[in-house]
Amino acid sequence: MPSSIIVRALGLATLALFFLAAFTPLPVFLYEMITVPVHIERADAIVVLAGGGVMLSGQLTDSSLRRTVRGIALYRDGLAPLLVLSGAEGRTSESAARSVLAGKCGVPDTAILASSAGHTTHEEIAALQPLLKARGVRRLILVTDGAHMRRAMGLVRDAGFEVLAAPVSEVETPTRPEPRLRLLRAALREGLALVYYHIAGYL
Amino acid sequence: MTPYMAVALTSLVAYFIAVKRLGWRPSDLGRALGRMAESLGAGVIFAVVNVLAAAGLVLGLRTLTDRFFSLYSLDDLVWLAVSMLQGWAWGLWRDSKDRRTATGPGAGATVS
Repeated sequence: MPSSIIVRALGLATLALFFLAAFTPLPVFLYEMITVPVHIERADAIVVLAGGGVMLSGQLTDSSLRRTVRGIALYRDGLAPLLVLSGAEGRTSESAARSVLAGKCGVPDTAILASSAGHTTHEEIAALQPLLKARGVRRLILVTDGAHMRRAMGLVRDAGFEVLAAPVSEVETPTRPEPRLRLLRAALREGLALVYYHIAGYL
Repeated sequence: MTPYMAVALTSLVAYFIAVKRLGWRPSDLGRALGRMAESLGAGVIFAVVNVLAAAGLVLGLRTLTDRFFSLYSLDDLVWLAVSMLQGWAWGLWRDSKDRRTATGPGAGATVS
C-alpha cells in the first residue's frame, strides 16, 4: 500500500534524523545558523529581555537569571549608563525581582529602568520602545538567549534602534547525545518562531 | 558512550535468546523493524497535526478572549510522547485488521 510506504519512509527519516542529531554535531551546526555572534561596544543602554519570569519560590528562572547577570556584568564593565530590565508580570514581577538583584550587585537605582509589559517578544519590544525613546536611547546592547537573539534583534532594529548583540549561551557546546538533542529542540523551536513572526508580519 | 554499548550488548543478547531459545525467525526481524518505522512515521504525523491544532487553538483563544495564551505551552516533550503512543496504537489497530483479513472474510463474526 503506497500510503504505508510513505509512513514507513517518514519513520525511517525520523530515525535517521534522531541518530544524526544525537551522535553528530548537526544540532550545533543548526544552532549556529540561528544565533548571532557577540558584538559589544559602548551604547546608550543595556536591554535585558524577559526570560521566563519568576518561579513559585520567588527566584528568577534559570534563563532569566543568566540574562540578568549578563546585563549586570555589562553595566559594571561601564558599557552603558542605563540598565533596562524587562520582565513578565505574574505573582511576582520579574522586572522587580531583577531590579532587586541588580541593586544588590551594586547597580544604582537611578541607572535601572524596569519594564513589565507584554507577553511576547513582539509586545515586549513594542512596550520598551517609547520608554527608551523618552530616555534618548539610540544605540543599545541587547541581552537575550543565543537562539532568541536573531528574532529579538530584528524587532529592536525595526523599532528604530541600533542594536548590538550580547547573547547568553543556553548550553555549552554539547558532546553528549542528550544535550545535542536539547540544542536541536532549541534550534527547531526558534526556527518555527522565526517563521511565525515572518508570517504574522512582525519581522 | 557506556549506556549505548550496553544497548548494543542487550540487543545482541536479546537476538540470540529470540533465535536460539524461542525459535523466532531472523527474517521476521526486518519485517518487525519495518512495522516499528511505520508506527514511528504515524507518530510523527500525529505530532505534526497535534502541534498545528494546538497552535491554532492557542492563537484562536488569544483572538476570541481577553486572556493571554502562550505558544510556549507547546514547548513540552510530553505531547511528543503522547503522539508517538497515538502512532503506535494506530499501527497495532491496523495490524489487527490485517490479521483478521488474512484469516478470511467474516472471521471472528458470529452467525445466527
